[in-house]
Amino acid sequence: MTEQFTVPFPLQYGTYEDALKMVGKPGNRVVAEFSVNWEMIKVFCALEEDGNPSFWDEEYAQKQWGGIIAPPGLLLTWGMSLQWHPEKERQHYFVAMKVPLPGDTLINVGTSTEFHRHLFLGDRIAAEDRLLDVSEEKRTRLGVGHFLTTQADFYNQKDELIAVQTNQLFRYYVAEEG
Amino acid sequence: MAREISYRYWSDINEGEALSRVEMDVPFERVILDAAATQDYFPGHHNPAYAKHQGQKNIYLNTMAIEGFIDRVATDWAGPHTFIRKRQMQMRASIYAGDTMIGEGKVERRYEEDGRTLVDVSITISTQNGACVPANLTLELPRS
Repeated sequence: MTEQFTVPFPLQYGTYEDALKMVGKPGNRVVAEFSVNWEMIKVFCALEEDGNPSFWDEEYAQKQWGGIIAPPGLLLTWGMSLQWHPEKERQHYFVAMKVPLPGDTLINVGTSTEFHRHLFLGDRIAAEDRLLDVSEEKRTRLGVGHFLTTQADFYNQKDELIAVQTNQLFRYYVAEEG
Repeated sequence: MAREISYRYWSDINEGEALSRVEMDVPFERVILDAAATQDYFPGHHNPAYAKHQGQKNIYLNTMAIEGFIDRVATDWAGPHTFIRKRQMQMRASIYAGDTMIGEGKVERRYEEDGRTLVDVSITISTQNGACVPANLTLELPRS
């Protein structure tokens, strides 16, 4: 038996048929809460112990790229929602979290990302994502559920394409041991 | 202590060449730093009881932390002048608090396309328990 957790993760619940209705619908364009900033870049590089001077050394980055750039791994972070905001309700920005399905939990499975341009300090991204596919029910070693495939397009404030990311996650419930 | 920076050029790279191995411990602190650094407070990354409810053995690194480590394996080897053009990764097993993460890779292909000098590399992120995340990247490097 697993320990009890106190705060379940908020998800939309529904049937596979409900989820299928969302496939292919154009997503919302969401402007990121965070502008690209050096402080968050440094915290991420500390996490990775990444000494790449493109992220740390203004002189090197200026010469190589025209300024400090954001690590590609931080792409999704700029669009994350704050834990609290004086006016806005906390919400998931990504469509994958809003798909109605039976599973009470999820885990990310994989990503495929094409990078077109760098993000520079002060840039602010806008992301548009949509649901590409929902699989039929599958059983994996983690549980029973559905694989969701989504695609997100990321633009900078000049509306230039920064990156396109396809993401796959598994929305599931842990099967009772039989 | 500052690490020495490696600069590799497209014309000097050989197909089949091994990338430098990168190893990093993942204590609880790094998993919590991951949640904070990436603003990803999904409870599997900070709440052991939730992670166990999910069928995981402990809190685990998120996608972005693993992507960043894959990218580091590529750029520690190829140099900071690398433009990562494409990255594909599949998380087949989780990387938990208490694990050691190891990145290894190999040059699969060196070619020119649309005026770009490109190198495809395969990278595998493992722990002490075996392979977890296979990845494939396309890197754009200066010619020489």
